[in-house]
Amino acid sequence: MKIDRRSFLSLGVGVAAGTALSPLPWKLTDDLSIWTQNWPWTPVPEIGESSFVNSVCTLCPGGCGISVRKVEDRGVKIEGMKGHPVNQGGICALGLSGLQLLYGPTRIKTPLKRVGKRGDGQWAKISWDEAISEITEKLDGLRTSGNSHTVAGIAGSRHGTVSQLFSRFLTAFGSPNFFHTPSIADTYQLALQHMNGVSAAPGFDLENADFILSFGCGLLEGWGSPVRMFKANTGWKKAKARVIQIESRLSRTAAKSDRWIAIIPGSEAALALGVAHVLIKEMLYNKDFVDNYANGFESFVTDNGEIKKGFKQTVLEEYSPETVSRVTGIDPSAIILLAREFANAKAPLALCGKGQGKVPGSLNEAMSVHALNALVGSINRKGGVFPIPAMEVQGWAEVGMDTITSAGMNQPRIDGTPPNSLGYINQLPSAILSGKGYPLNVLFVLESNPLYTMADSKTVKDAFDKIPFVVSLSSFMDETAQYADIVMPNHIYLERLEDAPTPMGYNKSIISLSKPVFKPRLNTKHAGDTLILLAKGLGGGVAEAFPWKNFEACFEQAMGDKMKTLKKNGFWVDSDAVLPDWESTFNTPSGKFQFAPVEFSPGFAPIKIEGDSTFQLLLIPYETMRLSCGYIANPPFLTKTVEDTILKQNDCFIEINPKTAQSNQLSEGDVVVLQTPRGQARVRVHLEEGIMPDMVALPRGLGHTAHDGYIANKGINVNHLIGPVQDPVSGMDAAWGIRAKLSKA
Amino acid sequence: MNGYGLAEQYSGISNQRRGTKVMDSALIPNGVRRCSLDKFLVALAVVGAVLLWGVYAMLLCWFKGLNQTNMNDNYGFALWIWADLAVIALGGGAFFTGFLKYIIAKDELKNIINYAVLIGFICYSSALLILAIDIGQPLRGWFIFWHANVHSMLTEVAFCLSCYFMVLTIEYIPLILENRQIDRVPFFHHLSHNMHSTMAVFAATGAFLSFFHQGSLGGVAGVLFGRPFAYREGLFIWPWTFFLFTWSAAAYGPCFTLMVTRITEAISGKKLVKDNVVELLAKISGWMMTTYIIAKIIDTFYWANVTAPSKGFNLIDFYSNNGFYGIWILVLEIVLGGIVPAAILITDKGRKSPIARNTAFVLAVIGVSVNRWVMVLQVMAVPIMTFDTWALYFPSWQEVATTILPVAYGIMLIMISYRYLPIFPQEAELNPAD
Amino acid sequence: MKQEHGGVVTQKYGMVVDLDLCTGCGSCMVACMAENNVPFREDETDKLKSITWMRVYKLTNGKHYPETDICYLPRPCQHCEGSHGHSPCVSVCPATATDYDNQTGIVSQIYTRCFGCRYCMGACPYHARYFNWYDPIWPEGMERYLNPNVSPRMRGVVEKCSFCFHRYQAAKDKAHLDGQKEIDEDAYQTACTQACPAGAITFGDLDNPNHAVHELKKQPDTFRLLEKLGTNTKVYYVSSREWVRRAGDNYLKTEGLKKAVL
Ligand SMILES: Nc1nc2c(c(=O)[nH]1)N[C@H]1C(S)=C(S)[C@@H](COP(=O)(O)OP(=O)(O)OC[C@H]3O[C@@H](n4cnc5c(=O)[nH]c(N)nc54)[C@H](O)[C@@H]3O)O[C@H]1N2
Ligand SMILES: Nc1nc2c(c(=O)[nH]1)N[C@H]1C(S)=C(S)[C@@H](COP(=O)(O)OP(=O)(O)OC[C@H]3O[C@@H](n4cnc5c(=O)[nH]c(N)nc54)[C@H](O)[C@@H]3O)O[C@H]1N2
Ligand code: SF4
Ligand code: SF4
Ligand code: SF4
Ligand code: SF4
Ligand code: SF4
Repeated sequence: MKIDRRSFLSLGVGVAAGTALSPLPWKLTDDLSIWTQNWPWTPVPEIGESSFVNSVCTLCPGGCGISVRKVEDRGVKIEGMKGHPVNQGGICALGLSGLQLLYGPTRIKTPLKRVGKRGDGQWAKISWDEAISEITEKLDGLRTSGNSHTVAGIAGSRHGTVSQLFSRFLTAFGSPNFFHTPSIADTYQLALQHMNGVSAAPGFDLENADFILSFGCGLLEGWGSPVRMFKANTGWKKAKARVIQIESRLSRTAAKSDRWIAIIPGSEAALALGVAHVLIKEMLYNKDFVDNYANGFESFVTDNGEIKKGFKQTVLEEYSPETVSRVTGIDPSAIILLAREFANAKAPLALCGKGQGKVPGSLNEAMSVHALNALVGSINRKGGVFPIPAMEVQGWAEVGMDTITSAGMNQPRIDGTPPNSLGYINQLPSAILSGKGYPLNVLFVLESNPLYTMADSKTVKDAFDKIPFVVSLSSFMDETAQYADIVMPNHIYLERLEDAPTPMGYNKSIISLSKPVFKPRLNTKHAGDTLILLAKGLGGGVAEAFPWKNFEACFEQAMGDKMKTLKKNGFWVDSDAVLPDWESTFNTPSGKFQFAPVEFSPGFAPIKIEGDSTFQLLLIPYETMRLSCGYIANPPFLTKTVEDTILKQNDCFIEINPKTAQSNQLSEGDVVVLQTPRGQARVRVHLEEGIMPDMVALPRGLGHTAHDGYIANKGINVNHLIGPVQDPVSGMDAAWGIRAKLSKA
Repeated sequence: MNGYGLAEQYSGISNQRRGTKVMDSALIPNGVRRCSLDKFLVALAVVGAVLLWGVYAMLLCWFKGLNQTNMNDNYGFALWIWADLAVIALGGGAFFTGFLKYIIAKDELKNIINYAVLIGFICYSSALLILAIDIGQPLRGWFIFWHANVHSMLTEVAFCLSCYFMVLTIEYIPLILENRQIDRVPFFHHLSHNMHSTMAVFAATGAFLSFFHQGSLGGVAGVLFGRPFAYREGLFIWPWTFFLFTWSAAAYGPCFTLMVTRITEAISGKKLVKDNVVELLAKISGWMMTTYIIAKIIDTFYWANVTAPSKGFNLIDFYSNNGFYGIWILVLEIVLGGIVPAAILITDKGRKSPIARNTAFVLAVIGVSVNRWVMVLQVMAVPIMTFDTWALYFPSWQEVATTILPVAYGIMLIMISYRYLPIFPQEAELNPAD
Repeated sequence: MKQEHGGVVTQKYGMVVDLDLCTGCGSCMVACMAENNVPFREDETDKLKSITWMRVYKLTNGKHYPETDICYLPRPCQHCEGSHGHSPCVSVCPATATDYDNQTGIVSQIYTRCFGCRYCMGACPYHARYFNWYDPIWPEGMERYLNPNVSPRMRGVVEKCSFCFHRYQAAKDKAHLDGQKEIDEDAYQTACTQACPAGAITFGDLDNPNHAVHELKKQPDTFRLLEKLGTNTKVYYVSSREWVRRAGDNYLKTEGLKKAVL
């Protein structure tokens, strides 16, 4: 066989053409690539009819209107509701992540009964009927044995219909032990009680203020109604209003402010009074307000003949800029300048409540700051602060008191606070553990997660161990649900009907309607319905106090004539209450603002935090919009926005000034043990110039141990390291930090 | 011939000298000696084990995805792309030797062209394999041809690289056909003969293609106007790196061919190519390197003083504030890996001294590899936004294994080819049978 | 001025981000993830492998306490126009899987076309491009929230901010049905713009005098990122602070901050 060049070439061409003409290789190659474009494990979202449903977000107390985009019955996006007065179309990162909570693995799918050891996460699925009868049996036993008062309830909030229904349940059952998760709003309410003589929440007319003096408020980290605060801040920038941030750490608020004044934490009240000193000394205060609408400015004689120092005298004697400078670490000249600027502004407004205001804080501080607003006349005027009266449920009949109920209600509260007081949850663990008083037999927990959110988690857990029966009504397998004996899962906010009451600091009374955007997806029940079923199961007087067919009926009765507006607009605003008259502003004996309430004057008694001098550093917790730190845990999207200088794999970082780090021989990324009188934890070091030397800061919102793999085991929960400190005046938690030390791991 | 007995006991390749007849002798070219089949198979198995390790890593990357690597969004190109660019530069010996032999008619080079082609074939097939592992969607790799974007340097690379690989295959096939047994079949004999006679055409095509794709590989980095460390102005659509890469591959590639030849000689314990051939190629390489390094220095000056400052960077910004990339790397590339080997190879004395010559080969290989390294990895590492930080990376074992995989494959192919094919025309003459 | 292409008005969509207003809250990041089906994993702390089409960078002025200052800078894809649509990433993609759309000025990304060579990532100086290192897996049930207007991506391809192109398409269709030649400013807004609680982002047609961005981009304190590279981006930033404006580009020690160029 002889092959010449021609046959060689034609052979080559032939082979090439033959292969090319055979469809097989081409088809296979194409099919394979098409397959990579349609991998069966990569989901393909179903298409369908798209619609928007308005509701309200209740993931935080912000009360923002939301528009949920649905495709058929699926929720695909949550957006801010255009035209909602609170958030005006804006929305925060948590609100945007809501669908991850709706569909996420942390949801509890059905009622559960604990089978393993407490906290081990071993459950038996039970039916709703079983859950209800198991609990009513237990409750019935306590009630008939005269132990109704040994039942307690913790609610996430004391506002809103569901919370009030919960509180009503305890009352009708015969227990005085209703608790709620407290906040700066409670302290403000006390301040208004003392100084304005009204039981009301403060309404801050932030949008019209032109000089904001913030004593460490996380105005941009979730203080008040978060989205409203962002909008207000943008308004300030555009109107060239000025914001002064007094804080030991360069928070986002401090960074965005016009001036950041670093202060030794805990001395804010002293600074407020120092500013007051300058205002009074330099006659910069609003004479009209002080002379005509205030009392207790000058010294006066009390009913029983004592001479009581007026606000003026106290402040002039004790709070000179020099004195205040020593406590606060701020230059006297800076204090004087600040006071003059504050006085010269058209609409100055001072605010307090550190960070998100999660900790109620010092009542003295709140009163000092409130007094500052009074001095410049920023009370009850445009751009100032005015009382927003609490909105009562309209249509519910009084709870009828049978003998068991009255006997139970006449028992003292377990935390030792007076009956009908707000109740101080910070005192609950020590009350349980002290063994004085009576033991608790049953604890109901609704929309709150005390095992995670309360300071000194270990003690809280020890206290829980003493309660034989814990019932959680959570939607999520959170730390407290995980530790419960029975879980009766609530619908999630997007599946249920309820009201979102006026958010903290908002300048109008408002109710927004949260309505079911989706049919409940899991075997859950509205907590309101659960309570009604429990009451009906108990029968007698308890059942009589719950005459409604279901929660919806109860809710409509509660909303009364507002219901129509709520259904139509999605919110109801009290348009009359924009500026209340003087009478409803001051309901004190004198009918005037009280600079020096009879009981006490605002003063500066520093809140002594825990730890002796062997702990050379100060640990402060801080909050950020990128971490949800309350009952709602951080959804995956939100965690994804957390910087790697805060969380890296499972380690979280302390912020520390490079100078302090250097003197402790620490550098970026080092692993250290952070120790406080309450506990210790492994953390890593992040150097940050924007924090006062000799301090370390840790974020709130990390370190969950329950929920799911997307939430749990990320960093540490700062509540393991800090403990509550009782405010000597109010009795609420006023801890703003704790002493700490670092050692190399 | 003395002094070539190194590592004889490991290779055992020359034990025919002792008169043992090996089992596969029918396949072994006439007039040369090879080691026993057992030894050969053991050696093959050792290298094969390394190869399998690489294959395992490769499969991990294919089935689990590129999360098996330590690459990340800042380091989109890393070890593999460096390996790719490096082997292609080193494989440049093939096209340039071919160019010299077939176009410039340097006939002596016929004595090394086979090996140059084989090394080139290994380098290019390796490069293609690495690319197939490196891309996130290997099954869609052909989109680069089907949906080609003519503006992309990578498209140019893909086309030229594939075409040139085909050319190298065509150049390699006649060598296979020259195996003693295959050659007996008349069909293959004629095929081989015909292919040989058309080889000049392929070599010319190959040289042309190679000029382009070597250049377009340089263009890959050079066109990145968002990356001031890499970006270069240039001629028409080509940045200077386009020309520098072609030039450097032509200059340095032969050094790699010569280095591998020398290693083969050391392992086989035989002289395989005559000194005059080596010296000729070394001399040409030396002069190419000299001209290249002058161009590279001019390029570096222009870049440091004009291009980079126009983007807001000083030269030192690229070499400071990080834990690895210091100015040393520039010195290593240009002085040690460029000026020094060039200086050795352009002098008669340097070329004639085996030690100096071999040192020059090694330095040259390091020099061009460092160049490719900085043009891939340092490009990724340098922060561009002022609030960015240096991104340093360390390859995962899967990356290392898959990078070693082609090396193992290359060694195996050389072992097999050397054993059964008449790669070195001068071997028999230089190593006469007893 | 407006340009015509095929007899139809073309747009040049872009953003003006007011860094004085941006608080770094992260809403824009999450809005983008929620709108565009961006996947997530249990551990997202390796930011070099974490897909965030919109990423908010934290800038510091480098001064010691208490002179320290911080600024947050949201960085979507800058939709670089380069010169005549020759954006850094588009020009390099070998498979035409990313494209500069002359109609809108939007740099597209076609996931089914991309074969994952990552050349575009290397080309982008803003780290705006992200590779799917992992299979995107949603925990069971969570795939229910996926937006059907945006296809989830598969492992091994690159993705990035699209200026919410699906919203453009919807707006364009609607304008067409309504017999409108132009898309209203309101009709096409990106998810991040819409969500930003601070109102820091303004989005629109940079060439259209009726759109807010047209004037906003001319403010004296405006700058773009890395202008010296010639990327010719369509995302403008505004800051009253000089150190922030200076952080937008690289400057030689001897160089002063140049005034914004438009
Ligand atoms: N306003 C206006 N409208 C026009 C015209 C005009 O000039 N102006 N011209 C008309 C004419 S002549 C034509 S042909 C049409 C063209 O109209 P279209 O088909 O809409 O053309 P393009 O806008 O060029 O491309 C659409 C998108 O497809 C992407 N793409 C590219 N390759 C692929 C692929 O393989 N897969 C997928 N999924 N996407 C890909 C591109 O990146 C681009 O974003 O428009 C018509 N309509
Ligand atoms: N950059 C870029 N270039 C593209 C494309 C792209 O997407 N981007 N798309 C490509 C595609 S798909 C196409 S089809 C082409 C289209 O490219 P062209 O065919 O150039 O289309 P037009 O720009 O519409 O221009 C047609 C011209 O015809 C004029 N004309 C209109 N009506 C009439 C008439 O009745 N009679 C006469 N004599 N003239 C008339 C118009 O005024 C206009 O000047 O563009 C291609 N080029
Ligand atoms: S601020 Fe609070 S209420 Fe408003 S969207 Fe965010 S989580 Fe929801
Ligand atoms: S949402 Fe707005 S304020 Fe928040 S980080 Fe993004 S741009 Fe800044
Ligand atoms: S920012 Fe990056 S990805 Fe976006 S267009 Fe520019 S180069 Fe491309
Ligand atoms: S990774 Fe995809 S989009 Fe990027 S250059 Fe490669 S093929 Fe093009
Ligand atoms: S424009 Fe759309 S895709 Fe781009 S960052 Fe904003 S939300 Fe994401």
